Amino acid sequence: MDLPIIETPIAPRWMWMEEVTYSHIPIATLITAFLVIAPIFEYIGFRKKDPRYDRLAKSMVFFVMILYSPGAALGTGIPIFIIGMWPEFWSRWANLFYWPLFYQFLFFLLDVIFLFFGYYLTWDRMMDRKRLHIFFGVMSAIFGLLIQAVWDSLGSYMTTPGAPFPMVNDPVGWSAQAFFNPSFPYLFFHRFFGNISYTMLLLGGVFALKYWRQKQEEEKVYFGWAADLTFSIGFMCFFAMPFIGWSFAKLLQQQSPIVFHSIMGGHASSFFLLKMGFIAIMILLGAVYLFKRRQRKALLYAATVGLASMYLTFHFHPALDWLPGGPLVWRAAYTVAIGGFLVYLWFSRAGEMPLRPRWQWVMFSVGIAAFFAFALGGFVRERSRQPYNVYLTLVKPEALPVETDRALTYQKCLGCHLASPNEFERHKGANWAQIVQREREMGRAQITDQEAKRIVNYLEENF
Amino acid sequence: MTHLQFPVLGAKWAIGTIALFHTAVASLAIGFAFFVTIAEILGYLNKDRRFDQIAKRVQLIHVCVYNIGTINAIGLVFLLSSLFPQFWSQIFVQFYWAIIVEEFLFFLLATTLTFHYFFWDRLWGHKKLHIFLGAMLTPLFFLQFYIINGLGGFMLTPGAGVAQKSLLTGVLGWDKLGFYNPSFLMLTLHRTLANFSYGGFFVAGICGAMVYLTTRPKQVEYYERGGRLAFYVGFSSFLSLPIIGYFYAHVLKYHAQQAYVNLMWGRGDVVAGGVDWWWLKHVCVALMLGVCLMYFKKTGREEKPFALPGIMVYTVTIFYLMFYVAMGMVMTWAFFWYMLAAGVVGAALCYHLLGYHQGSGRGVYLLIGVLSFLTVMLGGYVREASRPRFVDRISAYNDVFIPDERQQYLMVDVNPDEIPKLPPKPKPTGGAVLIREKCSGCHTLERVKNYGFEHWDVIVRQMMAYGLKLSHQQADEIVAYLESGKPY
Repeated sequence: MDLPIIETPIAPRWMWMEEVTYSHIPIATLITAFLVIAPIFEYIGFRKKDPRYDRLAKSMVFFVMILYSPGAALGTGIPIFIIGMWPEFWSRWANLFYWPLFYQFLFFLLDVIFLFFGYYLTWDRMMDRKRLHIFFGVMSAIFGLLIQAVWDSLGSYMTTPGAPFPMVNDPVGWSAQAFFNPSFPYLFFHRFFGNISYTMLLLGGVFALKYWRQKQEEEKVYFGWAADLTFSIGFMCFFAMPFIGWSFAKLLQQQSPIVFHSIMGGHASSFFLLKMGFIAIMILLGAVYLFKRRQRKALLYAATVGLASMYLTFHFHPALDWLPGGPLVWRAAYTVAIGGFLVYLWFSRAGEMPLRPRWQWVMFSVGIAAFFAFALGGFVRERSRQPYNVYLTLVKPEALPVETDRALTYQKCLGCHLASPNEFERHKGANWAQIVQREREMGRAQITDQEAKRIVNYLEENF
Repeated sequence: MTHLQFPVLGAKWAIGTIALFHTAVASLAIGFAFFVTIAEILGYLNKDRRFDQIAKRVQLIHVCVYNIGTINAIGLVFLLSSLFPQFWSQIFVQFYWAIIVEEFLFFLLATTLTFHYFFWDRLWGHKKLHIFLGAMLTPLFFLQFYIINGLGGFMLTPGAGVAQKSLLTGVLGWDKLGFYNPSFLMLTLHRTLANFSYGGFFVAGICGAMVYLTTRPKQVEYYERGGRLAFYVGFSSFLSLPIIGYFYAHVLKYHAQQAYVNLMWGRGDVVAGGVDWWWLKHVCVALMLGVCLMYFKKTGREEKPFALPGIMVYTVTIFYLMFYVAMGMVMTWAFFWYMLAAGVVGAALCYHLLGYHQGSGRGVYLLIGVLSFLTVMLGGYVREASRPRFVDRISAYNDVFIPDERQQYLMVDVNPDEIPKLPPKPKPTGGAVLIREKCSGCHTLERVKNYGFEHWDVIVRQMMAYGLKLSHQQADEIVAYLESGKPY
């Protein structure tokens, strides 16, 4: 590394960085999602002349107002932490994305102006000019999404750099290849639907609890309605995720195989499995809730289509190799699980009375599970890239030898075999030096002596 | 070496524009916080709901302004790290922990401010707690400023900090001597009091504008009262500025002589577009002073719910007069007369506005709000512009300097022993420099120009007898230069 490294007390540097990032991202994503949904609700309320939608939209924007300042302050902390702890990375990054970062600043400014002065402060005063008011809300949402787009581009570049990472004395300022890098659209849409899904599910859970605590009948009716509406939106939005996620994973497999292998059986896979666990909880509880509530049949059909599409996604999923016994066992398992679950849902609908106290906790649990699934998604994405700050270009200064050796092993060994890192587990205790030498002699792997030594060392120590 | 640029404005002005706007907004936030606390306490003690209402309204504006300021800060960080990567990375290496604490305070402030405003009504039954929360904002802001002033002061008067070798001698994250640099205290005091004053006057300006826009008598009275309170808060803080400013200028004189010379003689970037912006700032201050004095003279004897003691008002006048006279010693008498004229114009304008609005302060409040905004902007600008293009210890601010001399070390592995030593910078010498350094310690250069070419030898010896410290060689050099008639 080039500049002196500032060491952090108590916890390693990456942990501090993640603490700051993960305190900011849930707030920022919630704000972005609420700002997208609020003008839509307001518009529906305006067209239907239903004041409940207007109230719901206003309460969401009020919550955004409360979160905005702390979220922005935490957001400032992210570059501050990076500049100090990874100065070379930041200097080069800011060089490559100079103009996107500058435009992001303008988007941010416009977002605040539209949100504060056009949307929130004028809500009651502009009751007679609702269309203009909704327009302000839409503008705020657009600028919020543009901010997200810039950050998604910068983030995705780190995983799939579409252009070389310039030195600081090689001014670039802007590169379309870097900005629109291969994984950018996938990350953007994955996060867009993910944001809406988890925030709406969480909101539904909170409204359900509020419903439970209300004494006045009128309020009870409102919160019951709001809980149903937001929860259903969140649940249905989720079904976009497996499609996008599958394409995202496929792209990573081609563009950044080390990252892909890290998630699918490598060092980040345990967190990925945990994430899948939260998603399973969310789907199980959420679907049961929807069917038990006996909502409109269209919603139930939509949920069924969503679950069926998940089945298809699993069917074509890139090498998932977690279950013992090979792909057949895995396919049989999820066919039985999803098929059985769908049958159970359709047969058990109309079973219980809606909104009995325990259901509020079920909804809330689904919201929490969605939140953790979302948070873990980001964590897995960042973790899978280690030891690189920029994939195959810039190694983080504090990278341990075991991390760089692991990345080298994934890069050299898994590319040809299209196998998961679990493959190593199956050969545990093997004579790794011999295997690596054989691969080299057969001309399968282009490995130097030095690299071979590192790979063998890694394999022998870990398998 | 090449580096990124900003079109039209150029790198320096792009940073300057955003930084100034951010400073104006951030300063306002401090003033707002102070004003809100005072108004809320007054409302609670007097059981007068109107004070509480004005405090709440100002706090709402504060929340909006605060977010705009935050975003500006983010823009500033992005631009600095792109346009001045070496400077920015180096300052982080040196003051990293201070910046992290500042960031933590930033978050604390944002949360407290949000909680304070959005829970105003819900905490109605716990008014003391609510006032306490609001009162916490001012010290939190103050602490945040304290840190930024450490960095800002360092850029102007690096003092005994080890910045020059920070990358090579292991200063990682905290440079105490650099932080507590010579101008740190004065900058902090000056900005703190100036912010209180600016915040008060700006709120008065908002109230003045609202009186113009409102037709309902109750609302008019409400804003008149709010404007008066804000005006008094602004004026009370105004009291200390000439004294602190005077000592601040003296610190610069000894620790950032080139910046001082730029300010006092209108050199360098202090003069831009043919305008001496430091002068213009003082024209604004003098106008404000004239407005304030006339306002108190006209309204001091009226039956008002509250008023500032007359002695306070006149003390401010005397302090400002002392300031101008003291500054006049090292600047020019022309400057003093311009300021006096501006003060008279301000007083006349105030007299007219009060008469035109039949005693209502709306016009005066609006005028003082605008003037205070201009003063803060100009003050920040001249402080930055006065900084020489290269501060010895850190290659800051001007892209001309970015970096051949250090950039190469920023991005490569550094072994301190292997770095070729830079040749020491020659100290500027010569008669002109000596005259500026030595003579201007006691009087303006205008006075030097008043003498003819004869008898310089006698005059210089006379000055040495008065206490001017000169070696014989320096004295001879000055005499020779003055006798040659060259410009200095």
